[in-house]
Amino acid sequence: MFETTKIIILENSRNLFKKMKETPVLYFMFISMIFFSILIFSFATYFLINIETSLDVSLEDIFFAIFFVFMLKTVADFHNNFVKSSPLSYTLSTQKNQKRTVFEIFLAVLSIQLIIWFMFSLMYLLSLSFFGVNVIFPLEYIIFTLGVVAAVLIGFSTCINFFNSKKYRLLPTFILLGFFFEIRHPLYIIFTMPLAFLHTVWSINNSISSYLYINRKERTKEKGQVKKRSIIKAIFFRETVVLWRDKLLFSFIFTSVTTGLFSGYLFLYGDELLIPKNFQAAIGGILPSMFIFLSIYIVVMYTAVFPSLNLFLNEEKTMWLVRHLPVRNDILVFGKTSALSLCFLTAIPVVPYLIIFVGIENIFFLLWFLCFSYIAGVIISIPLGIKYVGKKSDIILLYSVAMILFVILGAMAFLRGIINSFFDYPIIIYVLILLLEIVIFYVSLKLSSKILDLHY
Amino acid sequence: MIVVENVTKTYGKTIALRNVSFKFDDEHVIAIMGENGAGKTTLLKICTGILPFNRGTILVDGFSIVKDSIKAREKIGYLPEMPDMYERLTGREFLFYIASLRKIDNAEQKINELTKMIGIYDFLDYEIGSYSKGMKQKISMTSAILHNPKNLLLDEPVYGLDPLTSRAIQNFIKKKKGTTVIATHSTQLVEKIADLVYIVMRGRVVNFNKVETLVSKYGSIEEAYFHIKDEINV
Repeated sequence: MFETTKIIILENSRNLFKKMKETPVLYFMFISMIFFSILIFSFATYFLINIETSLDVSLEDIFFAIFFVFMLKTVADFHNNFVKSSPLSYTLSTQKNQKRTVFEIFLAVLSIQLIIWFMFSLMYLLSLSFFGVNVIFPLEYIIFTLGVVAAVLIGFSTCINFFNSKKYRLLPTFILLGFFFEIRHPLYIIFTMPLAFLHTVWSINNSISSYLYINRKERTKEKGQVKKRSIIKAIFFRETVVLWRDKLLFSFIFTSVTTGLFSGYLFLYGDELLIPKNFQAAIGGILPSMFIFLSIYIVVMYTAVFPSLNLFLNEEKTMWLVRHLPVRNDILVFGKTSALSLCFLTAIPVVPYLIIFVGIENIFFLLWFLCFSYIAGVIISIPLGIKYVGKKSDIILLYSVAMILFVILGAMAFLRGIINSFFDYPIIIYVLILLLEIVIFYVSLKLSSKILDLHY
Repeated sequence: MIVVENVTKTYGKTIALRNVSFKFDDEHVIAIMGENGAGKTTLLKICTGILPFNRGTILVDGFSIVKDSIKAREKIGYLPEMPDMYERLTGREFLFYIASLRKIDNAEQKINELTKMIGIYDFLDYEIGSYSKGMKQKISMTSAILHNPKNLLLDEPVYGLDPLTSRAIQNFIKKKKGTTVIATHSTQLVEKIADLVYIVMRGRVVNFNKVETLVSKYGSIEEAYFHIKDEINV
């Protein structure tokens, strides 16, 4: 009974413990950040309860935030444990009813979400009581818990029907979600749970066709520019072909443009939108420049840190190729890093779209800050990507790099004020900083090739 | 020629190879046999520089795989047991990539000749991710012999291949000059193409002999393998 459920939970927990053993520092940082985030949320709650603000955060808003997060997590978990799970073919080939197997996967995913919900909500409630806030709201807690269950039901059927040739099967989910967000009341979700449940059961009945659809073999013909190249050019070509065929370059450009537009808009109107009126006078002035800072930070995270980490993290199964070819490690590192020049071009669109809102006079600093941030992102990511080679797109590694980069860029944003006030020609200082950074970048690449040697 | 002297390799507390020594000369096709987990694949990976080892020395045509790794790796062609490749590249792009990194002249001509011999030429413009297991094996085999290496290390070379390609590969190995080392479970393959055989068990070499000697003594390599295994267990 429930063999698949047990196996999935066992494997997930073993994976977690294995990773904790392998990279204890990363996980220590991650766990610390979780505790820190929960404390911050508790403090924010205490703060909002005890002061009068125009900021209107209702119970419904929090409910929907939790609902949405758990729905996304369910889709991701179900994708890993069903849609793209290779070992599942063994279970599906036994005499056991296939729909029953999918139902057991659903139970595993549901259990994982509930464990996470109870654990985090308990920590949140404990820290709230630490701040002296009344936490006795049993009815609300039950509604929130049912909301998590509803999120799992909706996320589950979304995932099954999204990865299917018959996309119209998503329609009931979309209609239900549309009503949820239109009516915006937790009780509506609770009352329509039987409908979500029925759709989940119906989706389970059609789940095998999704599995077969995603795991089908299709011969994909591509016409590339094939010719013999120098080593660095060959490595550059290989990396960029993958970025192109995975459509990542378009995704980078789209992110740059939308981030530029969105944060530029917030730069102009963020005060009114996000800051309570009684705070605006005190801290409102900091906010606009924060949006510009965050805008560059987000674009750099997406177009520099993410591809730089993956340059080596993705080499997990193909390391044999890299290792047995007569190519020096430093050439390999330089070749791979050269592909990031193309990614840098995709980050540039953020600047003109920001300028629409912040004015052309800031163009020099924005371009300088983008270059500085981009190189800083690469300096941190390449050695870490090599250090943790084989651990594909580890979210915790990405989180750690994000934190380090945030601190560095924050320090630089702070230094900007000092540079501007102390120097008559700050442009010279900015250029010198960039030159120094390029030297550090070179050292970082050399260090990275040494780290690649250490693996040997 | 590849010389392995007193090599020890451990994975954590597990000892994969215990102070082993081999000499793979230029005149013979050498097979390495042994049960699963005996250390065959580990040995090949160590000889190609893919895996580090704890103790000992490995020389490829006189170049140390650790100190002169680039020169040593230039002289080696390697086919892994499970060839994972860049799935978003086409077979042709992948082979040109290898040709560029190995600085091979007349790459196009060589790629065309070899892929026709191996039987993957018609699929060269398809993405590797869409290949079957056997097709991946064929591309990987082509990449291993593209630079006409003096030392060829093959891990289960005919595994997953159709009979026609399997025969073509066997003929290629027989004709090839230089060192050829094959790690395999296939006793038939050993009988067909190998001259010498090492039998490895639990990280140690337990027997080294000529194939024809073992066949004449025990009747077949399969029988020889079981006899030797039983003797060791006793």
